[in-house]
Amino acid sequence: MKTLRVKTAAPAIAAVMILTACGESGGSEAASEASSEAASAQLPNGMTIKEQIEARQGQLEKVGDAFKAISDQLKAGSPDIAVIQEAAAAVPEATQGMADWFPEGSGPESGIDTDALPSIWENMPDFQEKVGNMQEAAAALNTAAQGGDIAAIGEAFKTTGGTCKACHDDYRLDD
Amino acid sequence: MTADRAQTLVWDWTIRLFHWLIVLLIPLMWWTAEEGMMDWHRRLGLTMFALILFRLVWGVIGSWTARFVPMIKRLRSVPAYVRGLIACRNGPSFGHSPIGSLAVFALLAALSIQVGTGLFSVDVDGLESGPLAILISFKTGREIADFHELNFNILVALVALHIIAVAIYRFVLKDDLVRPMVTGRRGDVEPVSTVKVRPMALIASVVIVAASLYAIINAG
Repeated sequence: MKTLRVKTAAPAIAAVMILTACGESGGSEAASEASSEAASAQLPNGMTIKEQIEARQGQLEKVGDAFKAISDQLKAGSPDIAVIQEAAAAVPEATQGMADWFPEGSGPESGIDTDALPSIWENMPDFQEKVGNMQEAAAALNTAAQGGDIAAIGEAFKTTGGTCKACHDDYRLDD
Repeated sequence: MTADRAQTLVWDWTIRLFHWLIVLLIPLMWWTAEEGMMDWHRRLGLTMFALILFRLVWGVIGSWTARFVPMIKRLRSVPAYVRGLIACRNGPSFGHSPIGSLAVFALLAALSIQVGTGLFSVDVDGLESGPLAILISFKTGREIADFHELNFNILVALVALHIIAVAIYRFVLKDDLVRPMVTGRRGDVEPVSTVKVRPMALIASVVIVAASLYAIINAG
């Protein structure tokens, strides 16, 4: 009932929403206009652009799952160390070879739904460095997790989280 | 209540406190989210949850002008009331006018959805999350967070509408609604019922809110 009320109110207030929902879009419009031919084009690694984008989204979702699992445990009164260890081990595995996931042409210009910003390809060396920082921090987090010291895990988790954010701030749409 | 009609109480102190705390909290919550101050966003969010839940309970057991049932009944006369407004025929209302009742329901719905989705939201890194996000997956938490963001725009639009409406009352219809929301009193209405904070109702409301807060914080 509540949802319905908001939904029916939505069209009437669309005009006001335009004023408030600033700082978004732009990139995605250009993306949707791009031809779908580009999406099925082969990349040098043999994947289509669509496959490449979906593969990296799938891998990063695994990282999200793992991070949330660790975050949930660290918030809990008595963290389950086994859950943390499993999740921490999943991060280096899921992000192996990440530097190669963003070949030329796999940005929003492909027409495929992606939050990757064109700035990735304009600043590739910096992007690669940030990916490297994350992999380094994730490896340290895994080491800390296998060590079992909650305080050390908490610190390493924060550091790794910072490396995720560092990249997302510059190279990911929104958030 | 004094015999002096200039002192007719229309809004009890809990309603006024609730209203102005919400006014304070909405921009603060927006700002803490923008700045990524998620510890504060969570704390303020729980405060917001407590306020909204209190208002919902107060709408059932609170003072007369806060109650939902009379407000629902008043919704039927919205069209007639609006025609009256256009013709400048309506006098001041004791409590929420028909269209004011509609506004309260819309605002409370948007606020409830905002707080409710916030409890389950997860950020893009899986680092930050609402206190109940522990119950759901990363993916579901992300979808809820997207809706949390969309609904905020709806909430802002409703607030804008509310402020515009109050301004129209003030400057076009020459009816100051802000002062009564501060003092609780206005001089030009016939009291339909006595507005009073019953101690037992207040205690019951606070107990319900405190128990719910406790349950959420310890959900982990």
